[in-house]
Amino acid sequence: MTLYHTAQNIEASALGQTIRESTWLFPAIESTHLLALALLGGSILIMSLSILGWGLKTPVAELYKSAHRYFNAAVVALLVTGVLLGISEPVKLYGRQAFWVKMLSLALALAVTYFAFNPLVRRGVSGASARGVTLLTIAAWLTVAMAGRWIGFS
Amino acid sequence: MLEELVTKLADTPWSIALHESLYMYAITESTHVMSIMLFVGTIAMVDFRLLGISYTKVPVSQMLSKILPWTIAGFVLLVITGSMLFLAIPIRTYHSIWFRLKCLMILIAAINIAVFTFKVERDKAAWDLGPVPGKSKICAVISLSAWACVIVFGRLIAYNWFDCDSITSPTMAELTGCPLDPG
Repeated sequence: MTLYHTAQNIEASALGQTIRESTWLFPAIESTHLLALALLGGSILIMSLSILGWGLKTPVAELYKSAHRYFNAAVVALLVTGVLLGISEPVKLYGRQAFWVKMLSLALALAVTYFAFNPLVRRGVSGASARGVTLLTIAAWLTVAMAGRWIGFS
Repeated sequence: MLEELVTKLADTPWSIALHESLYMYAITESTHVMSIMLFVGTIAMVDFRLLGISYTKVPVSQMLSKILPWTIAGFVLLVITGSMLFLAIPIRTYHSIWFRLKCLMILIAAINIAVFTFKVERDKAAWDLGPVPGKSKICAVISLSAWACVIVFGRLIAYNWFDCDSITSPTMAELTGCPLDPG
């Protein structure tokens, strides 16, 4: 079974049909997806601005204690709502370049955040390498947001 | 009067150019979404501090002086890109019930900011690191709720459930400024 067939099967599923045929479900899930995106942006920025020297003077490891909870909650909410949105129109997504750009940048953003940014922040590391990782993390998440919005246009 | 203004706006070359340009409209809307991350994201972090549930080791005064400038930068980006989005589709957006509700929520959020700035935070030296007072928590809850509504209503502008051509009730005609379809 090819990936395209899988997409067709998901599209035909009861859940996919329910979301697609409801007037309110898709917009409601989409709105929740956006709210979670804002939360993700705020939690990553409050740490990033501090590392870049443009924000709070509080040690970044201290900020992490609060920020990473919001970040994790936002990631979970984004993945759940994102999967639901995807289930409702997988065949369309399969054919959209912006969707694949988003999935690649999402994988990169998650990897950079959890394997590079978070460990640095937890240890309170500063300096050029920390600033580099921070800029890469922000760039990756902005690409995810931009490509995500672009799915609707392409 | 506003109706005439948006009708004139719709006829300007800038409006037509934005409306017809696929890339410029898409870039503007994507920038609008990314600016939400900066604006609502940072304001939410400040609100969580004002609720006293997060960043409690950060003085409130620091949170306001170091983070709010970024919030304002986000707001400027949102107003610029938002105005461009309005300019691209002026008449439909002007009549949109979601756009009108969004403006109402922005107004409520603005009044809340004024109350916070001129009343609530005046004595913040007394609770810079201690327990936050109830008035601060109330402002934070209003802010979080109002901006969340702004995001949701903004997203719903794209849907045509209540566009002028599908309005049949006099109340909705009144609220949207749409003419009631005689048929």
